[in-house]
Amino acid sequence: MKYILMMNGTKADFGEYARWSKQDMEASVAFMRTFGKQLKDEGVFVATEGLGWPDQAKLVRAGRNGTPITDGVFQDSKEFLAAYWIVDVDSPEQAYKIAARASAAPSPGGAPSNMPIEVRQVLDNHSDLGI
Amino acid sequence: MKYILLMSGTKVGVDTYVAWSKKDIDTHMAVLKSINRELTESGEFVDTEGLARPDQAIVVRGQNAGMPITDGIFPEAKEFLLGYWIVDVRSPERAHEIASRISVAPGPGGGPTNMPIEVRQIVSLSSKLS
Repeated sequence: MKYILMMNGTKADFGEYARWSKQDMEASVAFMRTFGKQLKDEGVFVATEGLGWPDQAKLVRAGRNGTPITDGVFQDSKEFLAAYWIVDVDSPEQAYKIAARASAAPSPGGAPSNMPIEVRQVLDNHSDLGI
Repeated sequence: MKYILLMSGTKVGVDTYVAWSKKDIDTHMAVLKSINRELTESGEFVDTEGLARPDQAIVVRGQNAGMPITDGIFPEAKEFLLGYWIVDVRSPERAHEIASRISVAPGPGGGPTNMPIEVRQIVSLSSKLS
């Protein structure tokens, strides 16, 4: 079963991250690279992506004539997706364990950040929604 | 350049959606599937996934004696990711155009849902440093 592990944050969280020292940021990136490699070695890796900064996010709806209407204004409380991993595991518990490892990514100074990681199953079929 | 188109909604929004008639859901999905087909034909399609219901969401933090700390309680206003598309396009404008087409997928009775779609560029780990 496939699970998605999501790292979310507000613009303020991203702003804080952007102010980390070069050394702290490199440690964070090195952790993520190693984590990705470990998931591959363990045979559970499906995909991972990182997203651009939230200040470049656009919200899109269609106008009357079908042309896109874009808007870049969001509530301060909005949680933006920062990055995700998709893993193929035998149980939800295994997905939670992997999420806990992501949560332990280092914060400035090297201590675990304990950031929250949201875990959801990825559907094989739309009908898995129970409809 | 790769962009991700994110469809999000609250628990209430998802409850509303799953209560649509089968016909309305089938019509909605048929439009989304035809958009996927077109994107595949144009070579812009990279990936799409749908996520399980928000009431199955768990948030995981750190570890306690080697066990993950899990919690399933979220603010009611929380917007959950419901599904996404990744497209490889020539410009942000093209990503916005695709998002607007997803936004007008039909709702109950056939009118457009006008659901907002969040568009973000996909970046590599190292470019986050710059």
